[in-house]
Amino acid sequence: MHDFQIWLVTTIGGRSAIADVMRTAWAWPIAESLHFLGLCLLIGAVGSFDLRLLGVGKRIPIAAMHRFIPWGLLGFAINITTGTLFILTEPDQYIYNPSFHFKLLFMTIGGLNAATFYLTSYRRVFGPDAPLDAPRRAKVIAAISLCAWIGVITGGRLLTFYRPSACQGQQTSLLLTCAP
Amino acid sequence: MNIDPFLAWVESTALSQWVIGSPSMFAFPGILTLHAIGMGFAVGISAAIDLRILGVAPKVPLRELRRFLPILWAGFWLNAVSGVLLLIGYPTKALTNPVFYLKLTLIALAMVLIVRISRQVCATGSGESLSPTDPPISSRLRNLAIASLICWAGAITAGRLLAYTYHRLTQLH
Repeated sequence: MHDFQIWLVTTIGGRSAIADVMRTAWAWPIAESLHFLGLCLLIGAVGSFDLRLLGVGKRIPIAAMHRFIPWGLLGFAINITTGTLFILTEPDQYIYNPSFHFKLLFMTIGGLNAATFYLTSYRRVFGPDAPLDAPRRAKVIAAISLCAWIGVITGGRLLTFYRPSACQGQQTSLLLTCAP
Repeated sequence: MNIDPFLAWVESTALSQWVIGSPSMFAFPGILTLHAIGMGFAVGISAAIDLRILGVAPKVPLRELRRFLPILWAGFWLNAVSGVLLLIGYPTKALTNPVFYLKLTLIALAMVLIVRISRQVCATGSGESLSPTDPPISSRLRNLAIASLICWAGAITAGRLLAYTYHRLTQLH
């Protein structure tokens, strides 16, 4: 795993044309602002849908509320794009950063959890005779979703406090948390 | 560099020094994290209401979105409290930067807009019936929704730029 991380950082290198643009005075702050706007779209759409499943605004048909989800996906797409720009520019600041590892972990949980929702609860929640109160399973999924995305925000916000320092001696953890 | 006695006093308080000096993750990093989470819910729910007004998710009864307003306000108050703590931590950094006042102005405008929007939204529909069709949305309400989205986008951008535009970090520096 360490070898993979080092290979990844070396391969990305941070020496592309994209990295050059990102190092101009305005590019990085603008990309960060877009990353925060994307976050708000994601929470506004996915978070609101989760809250609806948990019982907020019970008079709103769940299927109607689901129409907000494409805007959450738009926010997610914005953040994947801007996030990729950050990694392409400063790969070692992310690949070796434990906070980034947690962020990826929570993103994976959020993604698998959403997949579980569409595989197990979609029909019961959206059918022609769908109840206004979501089934228990959907509520559990919604609660996990909210926690996962809050975890993603936390991992992202704490990145700056876990910047990797130089490695001293043999690294023994599963993931590299220092820069070799 | 001249010293502002009030800012110097704020920076000398134990609370200010805890916010920026404590090695605890619950101090500066934790407060900053809460500020981002509160933003997600306050701006996110506000944006969802604005988008509904502008035609997204048309089968959502607009009036019923008022049930989400307490969460919007919870996010707002979380950010008011965490924001004041961050301000106590770095008063000079924020208060000597014009962009900080721009951010506060945009947030104030956005909150005034959300209050006006929620009043108009609550005035629409009977509320008791489960009719998915609300009365047609006035162009005035649409304009408020567009203004709200612009104010939030501006507030977030201004907030992010604070890290790049300050002239002076503390009274000592």
